[in-house]
Amino acid sequence: MIEIKDLKKIYSGVTVVNVPHLEIKKGESVGLVGNNGAGKTTLFRLMLDLIRPDGGEVLSNGENVAGHENWKNYTASYLDEGFLIDYLTPEEYFYFIGGLHQQSRATVDDYLSGMAEFFNGEILKKGKYIRDLSKGNQCKVGVVSCLLQNPELLMLDEPFANIDPSTQFRLKSLLKDLNKNKGVTTLISSHDLNHITDVCDRILLMEKGKIIKDIATGSSTLNELEEYFGVGQIIDGPVKVDEEENH
Amino acid sequence: MISTFLRHELKAFWRSKNTGKSIAVRIIMGVFILYLLINVLVLGFFLNKILEKAYPHQDVVIAFCGIILLYYLMDLFMRLQLQDLPTLRVQPYLQLPIKRDSLVRYLAFTALLSVFNIWPFILFAPFILKIIATDSGATVALAFIVSLIGLTVFSNYLALYIKRKSNLNGWVFLITAAVIVLIALGDFYWHIYSLRNVSYLFFGRLITTPLFALAPVLMGGAMYYINFLYLKQNLYLEELGSRKAAKYKSSTDYPLLSRFGGVGDLVANEIKLVLRNKRSRSALIMGLFIMLYGLIFYNNRLYGESWKVFASMFMTGIFIINYGQFMFSWQASHFDGLLVSKVSFTDFLKAKYLLFTIISTGFFLLTVPYVYFGWRILMIQCIMYLWNIGINTTLVLFFANRNFKRMDLSKGAAFNWEGMSGNQWILSIPLLIAPYVIYGPFALLGRADIGLALLAITGLVFILTRSFWIKQLEADFYTHRYKITEGFRNK
Repeated sequence: MIEIKDLKKIYSGVTVVNVPHLEIKKGESVGLVGNNGAGKTTLFRLMLDLIRPDGGEVLSNGENVAGHENWKNYTASYLDEGFLIDYLTPEEYFYFIGGLHQQSRATVDDYLSGMAEFFNGEILKKGKYIRDLSKGNQCKVGVVSCLLQNPELLMLDEPFANIDPSTQFRLKSLLKDLNKNKGVTTLISSHDLNHITDVCDRILLMEKGKIIKDIATGSSTLNELEEYFGVGQIIDGPVKVDEEENH
Repeated sequence: MISTFLRHELKAFWRSKNTGKSIAVRIIMGVFILYLLINVLVLGFFLNKILEKAYPHQDVVIAFCGIILLYYLMDLFMRLQLQDLPTLRVQPYLQLPIKRDSLVRYLAFTALLSVFNIWPFILFAPFILKIIATDSGATVALAFIVSLIGLTVFSNYLALYIKRKSNLNGWVFLITAAVIVLIALGDFYWHIYSLRNVSYLFFGRLITTPLFALAPVLMGGAMYYINFLYLKQNLYLEELGSRKAAKYKSSTDYPLLSRFGGVGDLVANEIKLVLRNKRSRSALIMGLFIMLYGLIFYNNRLYGESWKVFASMFMTGIFIINYGQFMFSWQASHFDGLLVSKVSFTDFLKAKYLLFTIISTGFFLLTVPYVYFGWRILMIQCIMYLWNIGINTTLVLFFANRNFKRMDLSKGAAFNWEGMSGNQWILSIPLLIAPYVIYGPFALLGRADIGLALLAITGLVFILTRSFWIKQLEADFYTHRYKITEGFRNK
């Protein structure tokens, strides 16, 4: 589905993304983890042709995303609130997105009624523009507008970050259902290691723009990741006193 | 503290994506202002001679006292249209241990740094020094200068206050402008009163009792204080604004537009953008104000036909000029979303053309009553309407591909002041000059009709070849797209 070749992005001398080769097969569910500044969002943006790569290319179904628009037909993505048209009401936004995919209002309404549980009564018919919603609720609008498009490829950047615990669980089961039962290829980034290992079959670990680990999720994956991120160190390691800060 | 703010402000200017463009604009502005200042200086120097010529039956001093108030009335009118509102992004400073007063004081004081505040002195000081100081002594001259300072400060803050108010509500601007026009009409057209007499009533007295000079100073001080208080209150509003209990916002749709399919949906979205955001809405309301230009330019024999061409282009195309020059910044906050969604850029551009055509048509219909001034006027308006939707739309979109500056519409409008200023008009100069490149030579040769016909034909040709231009613009966009998206992401 996705093939990345020698992809590079350099900001003022610093290589923020450097992926020599990556292949994501149809139907895979891939999780992307890494500390802040590891290049996750930049990688997403490169894959969505929002920033110009300094080298290499991203192929979606064998076609370079830069300069082509076919990928838009089957790719749905939500990276941040910047993807939402914030002066529309959620309903108007859904109709607009649905309209882009030749869905009638009735179809959209039908789909949205199935999302009632996920929305938890906070999105529809509230008489608010998207800009007046909280970040978490904006995220719900973004995610549902992605699902509405019946994508073959779904890309979400930190979808768990701003939403409440109940919605996190609902989102997880939604994502699993999409991947397992509908065969949607999913690519999700998150800082929540529990969620990501739960949802994804394959984890990519990024550090300083490089994918340093590519692991199939198993029972030991969570431990492996926690070790990398140093969760163990904080509990067991000796507490180092920084001379400069404690004088 | 003020110097820190100034330094931050300078950094913001030099480090912004648009620096190159802003510098060019500033240089053009600077040259233009310098030219005006020299003109005003010459005018000021020969003011006594001019007044003698203009009012031969009157004492020069009386005539001089008479025109001061007129000047300030005009000054206020010009300020409303052209003066920059001082801006500082206040939000990052609000939670820091910085006194609110010093923030507000910074905003209020930098407002005085405007060329508008130099003009009255350049214009009037030579006369005061040459005539009044020699006639009535240094004290009276000083009293005149002091009252000029007071009136200038008053006018400065009054204009800013009205501008701030009108950014929240476009009608304030319209009403103020109408009041000023009515005051002027009351004197010069209906002759109900004489502003020159009113002016002399005060400044004439200044010669006998110089202490009266304190009155304008007090007015200036009071206006400053009102401004200060208003700003301070809004500093609070900014915090609370987003949490205010808002009216129920209902969904709307425009059935007529859905006939145009996907393009129609995009236009519907943009119409909502215009109507639901304060800034874009005032761009629309400004357009209504411009509708009055016809009264000024059509009515008066002083203005030749080339002015009518100008006025009718402005009236039918104001929205294209005013709204279009910030394109695509209006959509900056969701531009990424648009690019990854299933919207082809061709449709995106078609939607822009459709939007401009719809709104210009609206404005054109509103100007039809000017047919009162003759059928020829209607013909000129019609030609300029064609020109606007043919050429100006394309020009504006061409410049839109070169605009990398983010604009945050969702931020509270109380402190969102960019836009209504002189700089903005500078960007529209190419649009204003373009028709004269064709029309001008023929008009000078006394063949205005041929010029008009050519304007109409060019406009029509551009309308008929729209799909060609859309292709060109699309190709052009693809060479700039990464720069645009990066600029729009740059908060």
